[in-house]
Amino acid sequence: MVSMKKKIIVNTIVGLLFIGVVAWISVALNSTAKQSNQTTIQTDEWQRIKQDKQITIGLDDTFVPMGFRDKNGKIIGFDVDLANAVFKTMGIQVKWQPIDWSMKETELNTGNIDAIWNGYTKTAARAKKVAFSNSYHKATQVLVTLKKNNINRFSDMQGKVLGDQTASSGDESFNKYPNILKKYVKDQKVIGYDTFDKAFNDLNAGRIDGLLIDEDYARYYVAHQANPQNYTVTVGGFSVDETAVGFRKSDKQLRQAVNETLAKFKEDGRMSLIEDKWFSN
Amino acid sequence: MNYLLEILPSLLSGLKMTLGVFFFTIIGSVPLGIIVSLGMKSEYFTIRWLINGYIWVMRGTPLLLQLIFVYYGLGMMGVTFPRFEAAIFAFIINYAAYLAEIFRGGLQSVPRGQYEAAKVLGFTRTQTFFKIILPQVIKIIVPSFGNEVINLVKDTSLVYVIGLGDILRAGNIAASRDVTLIPYLLVGLIYLLMTAIVTVLLRRTEKRLNIWR
Repeated sequence: MVSMKKKIIVNTIVGLLFIGVVAWISVALNSTAKQSNQTTIQTDEWQRIKQDKQITIGLDDTFVPMGFRDKNGKIIGFDVDLANAVFKTMGIQVKWQPIDWSMKETELNTGNIDAIWNGYTKTAARAKKVAFSNSYHKATQVLVTLKKNNINRFSDMQGKVLGDQTASSGDESFNKYPNILKKYVKDQKVIGYDTFDKAFNDLNAGRIDGLLIDEDYARYYVAHQANPQNYTVTVGGFSVDETAVGFRKSDKQLRQAVNETLAKFKEDGRMSLIEDKWFSN
Repeated sequence: MNYLLEILPSLLSGLKMTLGVFFFTIIGSVPLGIIVSLGMKSEYFTIRWLINGYIWVMRGTPLLLQLIFVYYGLGMMGVTFPRFEAAIFAFIINYAAYLAEIFRGGLQSVPRGQYEAAKVLGFTRTQTFFKIILPQVIKIIVPSFGNEVINLVKDTSLVYVIGLGDILRAGNIAASRDVTLIPYLLVGLIYLLMTAIVTVLLRRTEKRLNIWR
């Protein structure tokens, strides 16, 4: 048995240590809270990127046809080709880092990645957290339905069940402009999927009647279905989405360099070469 | 059949990540779990409280949340782990809490009288623990330990949230690229194979230990 005296001493030491750790954590939390909203990196990282000749770009590697993996596990896609080509002109190698899409802005602002380049649509909500490049691609949100259900206008979705991808730009527009589609669908609610292939399965199974999806993906998925002619793609009143690259707000030089190269690519036709490779049917 | 062979390499590279998380977690959480379970019986109430608080937090919040906190939360506070290390750390401290409770159950099932008998026979406390108590405890906990190990095989799929490519993510990628459910089927089969191996190994251990029951 341990003596009473020893018990008191050890209990006091452990207690004080615990209080110390708690105090240290709360101080650390406080100081991070003071740094403007959850941004830890506030410096321009361009020098580091140029010196290391390497940039880390985050992507969701299930995002066809923008950035995904081929059967050998190699990361390919429209955005992958474009980003590799853009940084090649600067002598910088791209390190592609797969991320969870719902965590993309956190990954960027904690410095785990230097850019989000993966069919990333410009929206007002995202503009508060990241700085966008000039847009390099345009697409709108379309409604995919089964042909046999005869849905040809957004208003035909009256009382029907709609699906989309959680935290996608389509999801944001859907809620922001309720008059376009939201007022028609059943219970004014949308079923959110983590990836579009699951939503397509549910569309085929008849558990949802329509799928709100970016037109690039819509074309890809419809083309890869067993019977592409069974689907109707309806373009409705959603505005055109502009796809851009997301940077940290502090990385002004990096953003400028990418903007200049993108403009050059548009001029000399390198952009349309890459577009043709991935978007022509 | 051809298609299965085509996607198999990418699934197997995902399997490497799954197995990595699995083995490192087992190696780390078993010793930590033993230490924690001994700490729960400490004579110092502060240590007992701290450990009970730790177990409460680890078992009281989803592992997914803990992963997010360890990787992104600590990252914001200036403690930056690389992805894989963050996943291993989160898994080890989570599983150690569950294993500690299992070990505690095992320790408690050894009657007090045995400690007293060992003392009378002149065993030291260390000798009593390693030579008399631990061998019995191991036998008792094998079935519930096996439960946790099989859970761990499947829980490894949670690492997707910090961007690590495990086998389920590899299946996800193939499914969304090729617009088919077959990759999931194959992933399910591989998980079954893994749990089958774990089950057989645990049964064998149990049988071997039963020799001197």
